[in-house]
Amino acid sequence: MSAIVVGGGVNGLVAATYLARAGRKVVLLEAKDALGGACATTTFATGFKGPTIAHALTALDPRVVAELKLARRGLKFAVRDMPTVALRADGKHLVIGRDVRATARGIAAHSRADAEAWPRFRRELFDLARAMRPFWWDEPKRGWNLPPTIATLRRQNLAAWLDSRFESDAVKAAVACDASGLSPLVPGSPLLLVWRGCQEMCGLQSAAAIPLGGPGALVDALTAAAKVASVELRTGAHVADILVKDGAATGVVLESGEEIVAKRVLASLSHSQLLATKAGRSALGIGESTALERSVPAVASAKVLLALNAAPNFGGSPSRGRFLLADKIETFVTAHAASRAGCMPEELALEVVVPTAADPALAPMGQHVVSIRIAPLPRHLAGGWDAAKAPLAAKAIAALERCAPGLARHVTAAQVLTPDDIAKRYGEEDEVTVERVMSDWPSRILTPIKGLFLCGAASEPVGAVSGRAGRIAAAHALREAAK
Amino acid sequence: MRYDAAIIGAGAEGLAAAALLAGAGARTIVVERSERAGGRATTREFHPGFRASPFADELPPIPADIYWALDLARRGAIFRPAPVSPAARRFLRDVERRAADIRARAVAGIDSAPDHSFFSRPAVPAPWPGEDWMALSLADVLAREPPDIAAHLAAAALSGSVADPYLAGSALHLLTLPRSGFVTGGLASLANALVGAAHEAGADISLGHDVTDIRHAKGRVSGIGLADGSEIEARAVISTLDLKRTFLSFFQWNALPKEIVHAVGTFRMAGAAARVLFALDTMLPDAARDRIHVSSDLEQLAAANTVWRTGMIAPRLPVTLRIVSAADAGLAPLGQSVVTATLGAVPFRLFDGAWTREKREVLRMQALAALETAMPGAGAHVIAAEVIAPPDIEEALGATDGDLMGGALAADQMLSAGPWPDVPFPRCPLKGLYLAGSWLAMSGTCVAGAAAARTVAADIASGTLK
Repeated sequence: MSAIVVGGGVNGLVAATYLARAGRKVVLLEAKDALGGACATTTFATGFKGPTIAHALTALDPRVVAELKLARRGLKFAVRDMPTVALRADGKHLVIGRDVRATARGIAAHSRADAEAWPRFRRELFDLARAMRPFWWDEPKRGWNLPPTIATLRRQNLAAWLDSRFESDAVKAAVACDASGLSPLVPGSPLLLVWRGCQEMCGLQSAAAIPLGGPGALVDALTAAAKVASVELRTGAHVADILVKDGAATGVVLESGEEIVAKRVLASLSHSQLLATKAGRSALGIGESTALERSVPAVASAKVLLALNAAPNFGGSPSRGRFLLADKIETFVTAHAASRAGCMPEELALEVVVPTAADPALAPMGQHVVSIRIAPLPRHLAGGWDAAKAPLAAKAIAALERCAPGLARHVTAAQVLTPDDIAKRYGEEDEVTVERVMSDWPSRILTPIKGLFLCGAASEPVGAVSGRAGRIAAAHALREAAK
Repeated sequence: MRYDAAIIGAGAEGLAAAALLAGAGARTIVVERSERAGGRATTREFHPGFRASPFADELPPIPADIYWALDLARRGAIFRPAPVSPAARRFLRDVERRAADIRARAVAGIDSAPDHSFFSRPAVPAPWPGEDWMALSLADVLAREPPDIAAHLAAAALSGSVADPYLAGSALHLLTLPRSGFVTGGLASLANALVGAAHEAGADISLGHDVTDIRHAKGRVSGIGLADGSEIEARAVISTLDLKRTFLSFFQWNALPKEIVHAVGTFRMAGAAARVLFALDTMLPDAARDRIHVSSDLEQLAAANTVWRTGMIAPRLPVTLRIVSAADAGLAPLGQSVVTATLGAVPFRLFDGAWTREKREVLRMQALAALETAMPGAGAHVIAAEVIAPPDIEEALGATDGDLMGGALAADQMLSAGPWPDVPFPRCPLKGLYLAGSWLAMSGTCVAGAAAARTVAADIASGTLK
């Protein structure tokens, strides 16, 4: 074997395929029985299918789609260009689409000044995104310096940044939703928004998209591409540890005791997961590992899937949108503070998608699936997450009910994945920090162990389903092999 | 008569600026609304025989060059460093160095050095000193200190202010720590010394005159208008009020250029301090000369911040107590004492209306409870108490939102030479107007005033000011 890819999520599949296409002999090891990781379609109630975690792709790298010819492998989109709809309790929902003028007209119902400011804001955001693109999208050329506008932005906090551009809570909260990984009071938090702007500008030429058949369809297409490139795919192969000799990776050992030897190992691990391995701990040394253990995030997200026996009614908004529910920026401030303290936030911020609106095959005729992402939430809840499962779902439904009256009556089944469940299934994530967002790719991909590369979503500036980390990690591995 | 410089506000900054400018030969006048000079550097009798400085017990230190240039020692302003626990001293030295670096950078305005070379890309501004603390929380920075020192330093950093100590960026609050100047006889002694220096240098001090507007035409300032309708002509006007107060109360907003209105409008203030002055009819144990932080728990500080953001009074506010009569016996009658309580996380705007008598009573009760916690039995000896709520501070000193720091302590406001990158403090886009209010980056008394005086003198000398 010339390379082993550990973890068969989107990035693992992408990395393995790129390596195999370059003529390497690659084996991909997935611990579970199915490929795809957090990007999967699950049957959560009889006849109802929904996205397990990721429900709208906001960051998929178009180069991956083109280079791996995913369209030819069956990837079709049910929706592209999903508009963002900020749901308001007063019924004045705000539709934010790609058409700047149409969006501005919608904003005018909330504030004339904001409607005027909107095109200016989009231009500014994309200017910043363009400045950061070489840094986030690829590896910048030598001599690339951080633009001065970005240096200034590192001192700004999102709340103040938006306050000086908009006056209405509706617009500010809707925009802030895309940067909810950090408290809006943290210096540098507008950078998360710029990162989103970068995805939007460079990505699928759309803010968000859903594959036909759910996110699992992307994985199917990637699997097909991997097979064509003759990657050896092994599911149910649980990696126990990474073998290291003289500071260099030599292969992996499976739980079954089987050893697989390879010069290069690409692992879809976060830093905290790497530390959970023996190899990671010994390579990083105790001091650094304690520092990393502290960086296990206090803030996480939860996922709720609802089965509905009628179409949800969001007050006449386009049902194919990405619905955001957050009253004002302060919602995120208090939710982050509460999460840090391990308490349930009083007000939840929700991102809602109705996959069946564009892809009715996911539910029985006339029935619907509602997919809800709740963030920020405490990673560790005082009293434990198990007891809070039902209350969390009830709280989310109650919040939705305010903007989509009657929805609660139609709920026939629900599936809740708490932050605990998600961490148990997919491993502990790394904390979102401004430093991580502003660090370069090698610092996130390379490890102190020679020949070991981190290729998972955790190597992105902000975790996302993009395939970019796998693509860049594969390029690193190939470059090292060429030396 | 036309003055070279008219200074609004006879606080420490205004008086220092007046003394330095007049000393350099400029015709200078200071106009003060109140009947007494001093600003926050005042000391008054709040109960017969009991005196205290109502707004602060101590001031950030005066840099040595200014102190000796104004000959303040001879005039009776004797500074004494407030005691610091030895364990915290090493940490404070580091903080002081950072604060001094930021001060040097802000005054020099290096950030704005324009790069006019035609083809080169715009220069990346060098990182500000202290920028590494932007990504850290108070809890992060203090994690390596022993727990009791960490709790003490966090409480001291947030004394009379507010922040979530677990939030990245809150470490910047530590930069306010080096405030160690205690003045014998109360802060008024400093004001008296500065008045003496200004008089001796030949500056006019006009008390009891309310400035209503700053006269300007064509982007250039020409003088100030007073409440009695008279006008004082001046080549330069120095405002010692904060950014918001200066522009929002002395100008009609529609007479100002848009970018000034926008920058001033979006500048954030964060008033969060209240004070309670206690007169006690007993001598308190002399051991407690240092400040006593009754809230030395980070979780409590975090909770208080959350409540503050909603405009409510937290059930347990962070309180800092100081037996001022222990350090300066002259403030209380023999055998009796004066204790000040500085409360943090007190909202300027309450969500449910005005600061009524009942609301003020809540502050008094909380301060009293803190006093009782720190010194059991002392509560019974309280014979008088005066509450100073955030609106009182705004009313008395003109500090917007009762914020004595001059603005919210956030990275973008602190680590910059003002809101106009091309025109660093103390200048502003209006020619002839200079800002000498307490800047965020400044952790020193008279520093802003001295910087303004120096800039005005330089601009007069270079002929920029006609």
